[in-house]
Amino acid sequence: MAIEPTLIAALECSDVERSVDPYLDREFDERERSEMDVHLAACPRCRALVERQARMRAALRAKLREALGEDAPSGRAPPALRTRIEGALARRRKPLWRRALAPIPIATLAACVAGVLLVLWLDPLGHGGSPLLEDAIRKHHRELPLEVTFTDPESGIPGWFAGKLDFNPAPPRFRAAGVQVLGARLSHIGAWPAAYIRYQLPRGQAGLFIVDDPDGRFDASGREVKIGPHKVKIATARGYNVAVWRQDEIVYSLVSDLDEAQLFDLVQTAQADASH
Amino acid sequence: MFDLRQTDLTRGEFEELALKHLDPLYSAALRLTKNDRDAEDLVQDTFLRAYRFFEKFERGTNMKAWLFKILTNTFINRYRRSVKERNIVEGSERDAVHERFVSREAAEFAANPEQYFFDRLLSDDVLKAVDSLPIDFRLVVILADLQEFSYKEIAEILDVPVGTVMSRLYRGRRLLQKALASYAVVSGVLQEVGEDGSIDLETYRKRRGKSA
Repeated sequence: MAIEPTLIAALECSDVERSVDPYLDREFDERERSEMDVHLAACPRCRALVERQARMRAALRAKLREALGEDAPSGRAPPALRTRIEGALARRRKPLWRRALAPIPIATLAACVAGVLLVLWLDPLGHGGSPLLEDAIRKHHRELPLEVTFTDPESGIPGWFAGKLDFNPAPPRFRAAGVQVLGARLSHIGAWPAAYIRYQLPRGQAGLFIVDDPDGRFDASGREVKIGPHKVKIATARGYNVAVWRQDEIVYSLVSDLDEAQLFDLVQTAQADASH
Repeated sequence: MFDLRQTDLTRGEFEELALKHLDPLYSAALRLTKNDRDAEDLVQDTFLRAYRFFEKFERGTNMKAWLFKILTNTFINRYRRSVKERNIVEGSERDAVHERFVSREAAEFAANPEQYFFDRLLSDDVLKAVDSLPIDFRLVVILADLQEFSYKEIAEILDVPVGTVMSRLYRGRRLLQKALASYAVVSGVLQEVGEDGSIDLETYRKRRGKSA
């Protein structure tokens, strides 16, 4: 292969130093590569530099594979995660227009998956725990960043979730003094997609999870309280009081650091509103 | 019933194409979030999101790169703030800081002939060293040196120009080497060269003078 002498002259040692990475990463095209090869063949100093970098690169990659690759404990997904994802995918509903075309099959699929997962979730608190309590508390406690804040929550919340969830989360309105919507994010309870709304309370905060539950899989343990026509379950775990209630196919789980009486009052304001 | 088959087919195809990348995605998620629960949530979110946009995925193109792009975006949008990463200093200030840092360390490192220390490092030290990198550098190093994506693929995954990938990779690798070197010093694989890990000519000559 004939190389233009001008090209060789153009490549200096400083150029080589700067381009060791792309050269070793095989990012150079054929011409760039041969320019480099010609220089290296003639320049022992640069050759030594490149060889040292190449050894270093190989050692580094081998070490990364050893520590993070598929044969390392931290390079392999836990088997339960695969099951969880497969379950979530099967449960995943298509957008509304597609659901309208095939309502029964989706429900059938969901029922199959629910059957598998139900075993875990009916487990009373203390063994596996109810995801409406345990998972909701865990997620609320972590304070993952909110994805959106609202200037007008009443229209903003349903609007924001509309394109992201395949059910209408119908957020309740807590008509108590000093309750303010801080923002919302997408979340999930177990494998089920959920809406999450965080509220500022006069003292502390509360997080509300809303899941779609047409098949009645979610069940929370706890003390049952009647508020008007509705049943609300109140439970305590890990320092949080949680209220769980249902409105048709939608289940709400409100995690807060309020005491039971205050939580009860807060939920009551939403219930009064919902029964209008 | 046609729609059921269609749904099953799509899901089947998606699972076949996507789930084989579960391990590398989880491995990367774990290095990003630094804890298994967030990593699992991040990976699950990634798959659900990918499934939702599966119709937009061009068959025959790089599924693994596409999934990594979704993982990265999901992480940046939804988890990053919670991981309490330090804010990355933007622009020239950052460049200057790292340039100084890197060139000093690179010079020391190049002066050290004991590259074999890599072999003696524990996987745990490698994890700690990777985790110690600022997030942008950590990401490119994982994508390039573990997942072996090309510069162009990484540029697409991170939505930055190829030049940015190259400079982050350059710095990321040197920072990683430096971090690994410090672990090697701690575990006695390398001999400590100075109290703060650096050595200048004067100190070197003094030492030589004493021991001579």
